[in-house]
Amino acid sequence: MNSITQEIYDGIVNGQSPVVGQKVQEALDSGMSPVVILNEGMIAAMAEVGKRFECGEYFVPEMLIAARAMQTGLALLKPHLQQSDLQSKGKVVIGTVKGDLHDIGKNLVGMMLEGAGFEIVDLGTDVSPEKFVTAAREHHGALVAMSALLTTTMPNMKTTIEALNAAGLRGQVKVLVGGAPVTENYARQISADGYAPDASRAVALAKSLV
Amino acid sequence: MKLKCIGCEVLARPIYHSAALSPHVVDVELLPRGLHNQPADLRARLQAIVDASGELGYDAILLAYGLCGQATSGLIAPTVPVVIPRAHDCITLFLGSRQRYNEQFEGFPGTYWYTQDYVERYAGSGASLSLGSGTQAELQGVYEEYVSKYGQDNADYLMEVMGAWQKHYRRAVYIELGLGDGSATEAQAKDEAARRGWAFERLAGDLVLIRRLLIGDWQEDYLVLPPGHRVVMSYDEAVIACKSPSQTDLVQNMDTINHAYQ
Repeated sequence: MNSITQEIYDGIVNGQSPVVGQKVQEALDSGMSPVVILNEGMIAAMAEVGKRFECGEYFVPEMLIAARAMQTGLALLKPHLQQSDLQSKGKVVIGTVKGDLHDIGKNLVGMMLEGAGFEIVDLGTDVSPEKFVTAAREHHGALVAMSALLTTTMPNMKTTIEALNAAGLRGQVKVLVGGAPVTENYARQISADGYAPDASRAVALAKSLV
Repeated sequence: MKLKCIGCEVLARPIYHSAALSPHVVDVELLPRGLHNQPADLRARLQAIVDASGELGYDAILLAYGLCGQATSGLIAPTVPVVIPRAHDCITLFLGSRQRYNEQFEGFPGTYWYTQDYVERYAGSGASLSLGSGTQAELQGVYEEYVSKYGQDNADYLMEVMGAWQKHYRRAVYIELGLGDGSATEAQAKDEAARRGWAFERLAGDLVLIRRLLIGDWQEDYLVLPPGHRVVMSYDEAVIACKSPSQTDLVQNMDTINHAYQ
């Protein structure tokens, strides 16, 4: 890695949004390939952030500021990337289930997935099964990722999967679930395709499902 | 009976009051409210106390807790039964019934609740910020911690992101429990509602579930976990179910049984 991609990498890992913005601009101005900046500087950095989170070195605030720094860089980079450069890992329709208004975890998962090269369709919070169905139909082949923070709203994950079934879409979409009270056992019980205990492992899971 | 009640400190006054009026001998042990934020830690603490209490000659151990983000799911009764109210969280225990909780939750999902013990026992940890803790002074403390760790620019961003839940909330409710002087808590709830642009409402609490837990009336609204059995979330109106050490998942069995009758 050369020095400027290293600085971008470090800026993201340390959550320094202005530094990342400045260094990405410098790299572009110097004629560096946007694909190299993206892969070596940014996606690699987000992978490192995920690792640090998994081993307990980073917590949610560190993840949030790193994701923010990554997004700053990505915004500058995007106009310079060809569609073919982006090599989208896939599309993810994401939302917090009906009745649940909590979105920090869901947003973090969305940002981490974006940092790993996925395209995100964020449906927001309090998302009804019908809205998930409509989005899954519209974004054919997308993963569907559901979040819940409350044990009272968790059953709406099951309701949503049933709605996808009823709409004849279940065979075409993979469903990921997560959120503080959600467990692997529950994911199996409602026939979700995968469960991740945190945002970092949600990325690994999404990669394994596309 | 000789009973041990392990409860969350947000229920301190209701537990002490009901223990005082119980016909039984009740020992009370309260745990910090902040444990709510780490369900796995709370579960480990509860299991350790339940296990230790099992050796002390009690006839039953009472948990003044709800499912609390799955914190009580997985707990195993020691050599004596463990009794737990069928509730998702303490709001049910403050309101008196699952039905009343469901009405409130479905009608007004964006509600922030205030009760006297809950507010009084705030321990100053920023960890609960995203879950909705409160006062301006508390938020200032968290902000300063973020500034020192991540710089002002990031601190501003984190406060915006972590505080975004407030935008989704619409209502502050003070629950009057009729124990002690809750006027300061009510005033705080009103003040924060005004500051955040929420509606304010005052609801009368009903402590029947705590009272019945401590007097030993455990029909219907409680799970009585026999020794060696484990709590599992039931994903239905009963909230929790019990699983014997040798049993396959009771919930799945129930699903199969229900399915057979459909």
